[in-house]
Amino acid sequence: MRQAHFVARHEREWEQFAHWLDKRADSPRGARAERGWQGLRDEDMPARYRRLCQQLALARRRGYSPVVTARLQELMQRGHNALYRPAPPRWRRALEFLVADFPRLVRAQRGCLWVSAALFVLSTVAMYCAVRWRPELVHSLFDPRQLAQFESMYDPAAPGAKLGRDSGSDLAMFGYYIANNIGIGFRTFAGGLLAGVGSLLVLVSNGVIMGAVAAHLQGIGHGGPFWRFVVGHSAPELSAIVVAGTAGLRLGLDLVAPGRRSRLDALVEGGKVGGKLCLGVLAMLLFAAFVEAFWSSIGSIPGPVKFAVGGLLWALVLGWLGWAGRGKDREGPAP
Amino acid sequence: MLDTFREVHTPEGVALRLPAAGPVPRALAWLIDLGIRFLVLTVSAGLLGILGKTGIGLYFIGMFALLWAYPVVFEAMFDGQTPGKRALELRVVSADGAPVGWLASLVRNLLRTVDMLPVGYGFGLVASLSDPYGRRLGDMVADTLVVHAPRLRAAPQPPMAGVQAPAQPLQPQEQVAVIAFSERAAQLTPERQEELADIAEPVTGARGQPGVMRLLGISNWLLGRR
Repeated sequence: MRQAHFVARHEREWEQFAHWLDKRADSPRGARAERGWQGLRDEDMPARYRRLCQQLALARRRGYSPVVTARLQELMQRGHNALYRPAPPRWRRALEFLVADFPRLVRAQRGCLWVSAALFVLSTVAMYCAVRWRPELVHSLFDPRQLAQFESMYDPAAPGAKLGRDSGSDLAMFGYYIANNIGIGFRTFAGGLLAGVGSLLVLVSNGVIMGAVAAHLQGIGHGGPFWRFVVGHSAPELSAIVVAGTAGLRLGLDLVAPGRRSRLDALVEGGKVGGKLCLGVLAMLLFAAFVEAFWSSIGSIPGPVKFAVGGLLWALVLGWLGWAGRGKDREGPAP
Repeated sequence: MLDTFREVHTPEGVALRLPAAGPVPRALAWLIDLGIRFLVLTVSAGLLGILGKTGIGLYFIGMFALLWAYPVVFEAMFDGQTPGKRALELRVVSADGAPVGWLASLVRNLLRTVDMLPVGYGFGLVASLSDPYGRRLGDMVADTLVVHAPRLRAAPQPPMAGVQAPAQPLQPQEQVAVIAFSERAAQLTPERQEELADIAEPVTGARGQPGVMRLLGISNWLLGRR
């Protein structure tokens, strides 16, 4: 069949298909709401798409000109996009993810999780002990200006002042914590692609800095306000950093030791796990930033209340990560 | 192979040709996005300055959103195109040609951090130059691809020039070449048309403007226009 005949025969079909793509492909929800649609019916679209694929294959086989094949390829590609696009995210699914799937995913990576937690905790404790033993060590990490800043943030001689900050309103600090902490969490995961070394470095350096600051403030007698400040948000924030480290180590491990998969396949799998873990980390750090900005900084609340709330949050976070979604484990396969 | 086409076979048995984009257009798209983000941040800083300390908090949140969420939201919601990619007619697609999803877009943009190392997208450049489909590290892990997605322009109608059978039978490739000539003729200057048509003198038996008209006639005959 000559090209002109081929085009003339199928022209109407292609126009209908293109019209359907223009009007109804982008938003299925909007399309459903629309009454009185006259063109191609939605349920006929897949069949029409397969016909189009066949026509494209024919056109290519018969050597029709690029004008025809390019047009058909474009229609086919748009049809393909409409048929094979990922499902839109749903709020219910997001809730399920937070309540059950995310903790299960974290538990599924328990090897990397323990390594990540151990690195972080050990570096913190080791640095804390080291600075308590030799207080002058802290000067190798911070310059005097930074130290003075830390000291003024947790000065017990300034009652009624906001804890843990020089200045800035609650909301300003909320924004700052979001930008800073979540950025660190994400970078911890991404660093995993450097054979896990990046994640390792972030975990250890964060542990070292925190241990040193805590030991220094404890040593000079600013411990009270400091612990009252950190205990509230420590649970979601520290566990989120450990989970981000887990995601990074998982990715690094997939790069270094892919096992029986190809390295690229292993990385793709590690990326999927890491992406999901990062979504959870995002939620945890948002919550942590909220607590840090609006609760931890209140200087007038007495210590016991702060410690009780902090302990409760630790119990909640660990219980959530350790047990949430367990009933679902038996029902179906892991996501 | 010089072509950077990635051929994906869809379940319907048709090859989907994805023209992978190289580092240069992608870098330009990134620069446009950077400019847009910088502009938005500067303007919003001016506006939020009025709000005082509350404004500082919103400014930080906005900065975070522009840094991390901007590419993910645009790619996932607008067919794999950030404004910069739209300007350069690029599109992020999944490796099988399907539209990119939220998770894949999140992963490829999180790993941008690594592609930016050690300085100025060094790792990303090396990766995309050594990969046959120009993928940076984030693309490899997220299983995505950046492709050229030119908007299809309406092809100009070939000028009508009668119908004429070729003097001798033409090979399939020759037929394709003649048809391609007629379809592109409207975009060429008359001099260039004549120059090209002169190559086909053995088929048309004429040179110059008459040769062009005869070649167009042959193309009409090949296309089946009567």
